[in-house]
Amino acid sequence: MIPASFDYVAPQSLTDALAALAEHGDDAKVLAGGQSLLPILRMRLNAPSVVIDLGKVTELQGISDEGDHLVIGAMTTYAAVLASEAVSTHAALLSKAVATVADPQIRHRGTVGGALVHADPAGDVGAPVLALDAELVIAGQGGATRTVPAADFFEDLFTTAVGEDELLTQIRIPKHTGWGAHYEKFVRVSHQWSIVAVAATVRAEGGSIAEARVGLTNMGSTPLRATAVEQALVGQSATEEAVRQACARAADGTNPPSDLNGDADYRRHLASVLTRRAVLAAAGA
Amino acid sequence: MSAPPPRVTHGPGEPYVGTSVPRVEDQRLLDGRGRFLADLAAGALSVVFLRSTEAHAVIESIDTTRATDMPGVVGVYTGNDLPLARDYIGSLHTPDPGFVAATGFRMPEQRLAILPVDRVHYVGQPVVALVASDRYLGEDALEAVDITYRPLPAVLDPSASLAPDAAPIHPHLPDNEAGRIEVEFGDDVAADAVAVTVEGTYRIGRHGAVPLEGRGVLARVDGQRVSVWTSTQIPHLVRQGICEATGWSVDAVRVVVPDVGGGFGTKANVYAEEVVVPVLARLTGHDLVWVEDRQEHLVGSAQGRDQVHRTRLSVDREGRVLRWEDDFLLDIGAGGLWVAGVVANTAIHLLGPYRIPRVRLRGRAAFTNKTITAQYRGAGRPEACFALERSLDDAAGRLGITPVEIRRRNLLTAADLPYAQPLPYRDGVPIVYDGGDYLRCLDSVLELLPAETVERLAAEHPDLTIGHGVGCYIEATGRGSFESGRVRLTSTGGFEVASGAASAGQAHETVFAQVAADGLGCSLELVTVRRSDTDLVRHGVGTFASRSAVLAGSAIRRAAEQLLDQATGRAAQLLGVSPDLVKSTASGFAAADGSSEWEISWADLATACAPGGAQEQLGPLDVVEYFHPETVTWTMGAHAAVVGVHRGTGAVSVLSYAVAHEGGVEINPQVVEGQVIGGVAQGIGGALLEQFRYSPTGQPTSTTLAEYLLPGTCDVPDVQVRHLGVATPCNPLGVRGAGESGTIAVSATVAGAVEDALHGLVRVSETPIRTGPLRAAAEQIRREGQ
Ligand SMILES: Cc1cc2nc3c(=O)[nH]c(=O)nc-3n(C[C@H](O)[C@H](O)[C@H](O)COP(=O)(O)OP(=O)(O)OC[C@H]3O[C@@H](n4cnc5c(N)ncnc54)[C@H](O)[C@@H]3O)c2cc1C
Repeated sequence: MIPASFDYVAPQSLTDALAALAEHGDDAKVLAGGQSLLPILRMRLNAPSVVIDLGKVTELQGISDEGDHLVIGAMTTYAAVLASEAVSTHAALLSKAVATVADPQIRHRGTVGGALVHADPAGDVGAPVLALDAELVIAGQGGATRTVPAADFFEDLFTTAVGEDELLTQIRIPKHTGWGAHYEKFVRVSHQWSIVAVAATVRAEGGSIAEARVGLTNMGSTPLRATAVEQALVGQSATEEAVRQACARAADGTNPPSDLNGDADYRRHLASVLTRRAVLAAAGA
Repeated sequence: MSAPPPRVTHGPGEPYVGTSVPRVEDQRLLDGRGRFLADLAAGALSVVFLRSTEAHAVIESIDTTRATDMPGVVGVYTGNDLPLARDYIGSLHTPDPGFVAATGFRMPEQRLAILPVDRVHYVGQPVVALVASDRYLGEDALEAVDITYRPLPAVLDPSASLAPDAAPIHPHLPDNEAGRIEVEFGDDVAADAVAVTVEGTYRIGRHGAVPLEGRGVLARVDGQRVSVWTSTQIPHLVRQGICEATGWSVDAVRVVVPDVGGGFGTKANVYAEEVVVPVLARLTGHDLVWVEDRQEHLVGSAQGRDQVHRTRLSVDREGRVLRWEDDFLLDIGAGGLWVAGVVANTAIHLLGPYRIPRVRLRGRAAFTNKTITAQYRGAGRPEACFALERSLDDAAGRLGITPVEIRRRNLLTAADLPYAQPLPYRDGVPIVYDGGDYLRCLDSVLELLPAETVERLAAEHPDLTIGHGVGCYIEATGRGSFESGRVRLTSTGGFEVASGAASAGQAHETVFAQVAADGLGCSLELVTVRRSDTDLVRHGVGTFASRSAVLAGSAIRRAAEQLLDQATGRAAQLLGVSPDLVKSTASGFAAADGSSEWEISWADLATACAPGGAQEQLGPLDVVEYFHPETVTWTMGAHAAVVGVHRGTGAVSVLSYAVAHEGGVEINPQVVEGQVIGGVAQGIGGALLEQFRYSPTGQPTSTTLAEYLLPGTCDVPDVQVRHLGVATPCNPLGVRGAGESGTIAVSATVAGAVEDALHGLVRVSETPIRTGPLRAAAEQIRREGQ
């Protein structure tokens, strides 16, 4: 479990990082926290000739409040997200999901941006980012930047809208201040990847649900929105029975994988059970 | 949460055995000063292995030319390039002829090649060894080795492997039978006595030890000798394996065991890598090291379990067992040097801690194209326990009595014990359970974890349906043939202890020091236990099968007593008094004759026997003792578990666990408790999570820790342990083995608890228990309002 040899560059700025990407093109791989990339290199599933470490690009780190949005730099670690009061206040769903990622060591290295670009369908940040209607800011060559809604960001297994010569720079999350949130993750042992997980955030008004956002983890090749559930929840009282009904069809339209931890049918079943639990917890019921 | 049990602390002048003195190795191990194999690697070149990617194939060609030219490469070696006297590693255990005669035990000679040149037998088998300046360049160069395989059909099912028309996997053998055994005793049972007969098929999945530290080997040539450091439990057997394969004399090979991060049986094996690395060290003249990585470990280190039992159990109206029959099959993969041990263990432990008048057992081991196997913690006992205990639960259900009740009616009690079985043990000595009262263990575990706990936990966990299970086990421990112990007075008046029983973290440094200090009558601080090294003790067997405390402990105890005896005589001579006036003290000896008093310290004695000293001609005070037990001593125990099955997901959580066991004298109660708790954790892994799986073509699919799930601290509940000590006369310490007690009954106990939680709607006959499908029954129970 030793990577094939590669050259290592550590640019100090976004501009330099983009230039390095332009120079090495296909042969290069960007390194963020390394928690997905290094295992891949060690198992020799990929052998780039150059690794571009973003660790010194400080402009990609940190969380800022821009009025109606929170802006999270792509190189912000999970641990920094967890420590952020701004995130727990205005995007509680992200805090809740991040708290379930792996263990403290990994959360101190792994970054939100790395996780999103890696786009593992079992990863825990895709679904909350999708459910929160976040936007992803992508920097390209020649100073170009574009902003992609989360709904268009995840294209397939391990594939996102970020092109070969581009970098993800920011995650912009519209504030969901006052929304209840819960991330319900099903695993067989603690500190593992989600077999299925559900990200739910709701705005309650006088004991009933005014608005709901529900994202599904590992129910297909990308994170998914359970829009039918979201609609069915609107106006429901936050009671077990009402929520159960609304969540019964959480797996509609999904195409979950079958693997050693569970087949597709089991995952569909889990999706409705976990959605109910997530929504009830988010609604504070 | 249970209160921690009271600790027995050591007071002045009292024996150390029986007290929970703190583990002396912990400070070093916990603050990062342990010296494991990989910590010794500096300066050595790297050996890397190219492993088979095929489950079963003919090797058509191996081309190493490209790899040989790669940067940093010192050499690339196939089996043809190794100067070996014999190209395979021999069996590590042959049962006694008396046992063979009584059980029809048979096994063929296994000859799995150290580095095969014509045929591979499992994915992960080492095929080519490459020496490079470092591991980075070594792994790069491995990619340039070209092997052409012609795939053969992979045999993955042990029944298919034993079918009459199955092609032999190993060309030197006529078929795929790796071992067989038959045990039968008792008179036929009258049909009208039988109230219930239950039949079952029980499958115990393939899992293994997966210790924190993988394997690793370092070899260094020094003149005529080769020194080998290896992460093993059995240094002397590794030396033997190296010598048999190479033809080197045992005096030319030294095997040293560094700190070892867990073994559990997977390191009680002799591996191809342990032969290849020293052979290449000699061939190249370089110090060489190989450190197993986790991917190699999950395909290349010996695995365990993987058995199928077809059972038939008959009981009378009262639930008393009348007849017990089991036809079992072991899948030992491409080979297993302990096949005799595992087959015999399975058969013997199927007799259980019960009165069973009529028994008919038949077992067969099959070769398949899966990873090799060894003795994983329990080695046949957990499998036997699962088959028997599950059958008892089934019979209890049919009779309408509880699982506790059926065991109560069959367990051996003080009135039955000692209890002879009409069968010799593997050592040829007739089996006699030397226990005190097995029923007491069941009562005791129910005190720790009564069935009523279910109601309390049900109230705490509304999402779960809760159940209670029990399981009992018996365990033969402390098997011979012998173990070594050495105690030596050092130049400064301390003592050094060594043994063939290597530590893999079990606190040998503490418990052997306790034993030696008591034998010497000295203070514990004077005793240092050395890590195992074949130069320190020339002969030994190793650590496995719950044997070290029993055998090495006894050998050390005797060596210490002898040393004290010799030293007393020498002290008397030095003091010029009669030996019966000399008394040992914590720091040496004292004598008094009414008018005068003399004292001599251990350090004075050491000086006296050193060159120039008054007793130079007597030589050092240094005693080696081999302890040969007459036969094994038996540990028995009962486990109880409360589990919850999640109504929505079927997920099983073990909420509470207890073990009551009848061991012997506890050298260090806290260490024993740790062994039991760790054993339960491993048992929970086997019951619920761990499995080495294979694709239909024999490709392993559990190749990372994301697929091979291990229980973490959050997945294992607090375990309550109660020790019901019954000293055994079998050894001078009165100890019984405890290393496997925690593991053996876990699968059976958890399975029983799951069935209870699901009100018997589901039969659990397989491990790891597939939990998803349980949800239907859990949901049905919810709908029916319990
Ligand atoms: C033992 C273990 C357990 C884990 N458990 C979980 C878990 O429970 N839940 C979970 O969600 N995840 C889990 N992970 C994965 C972890 O969250 C990953 O580290 C994370 O998903 C990737 O973030 P990173 O910063 O480490 O990215 P890296 O590994 O450095 O990079 C990942 C990929 O993204 C690319 N990349 C990174 N940053 C950028 C950027 N700014 N622009 C363009 N491309 C970029 C890299 O080139 C690479 O392809 C686990 C990982 C480990 C090792």
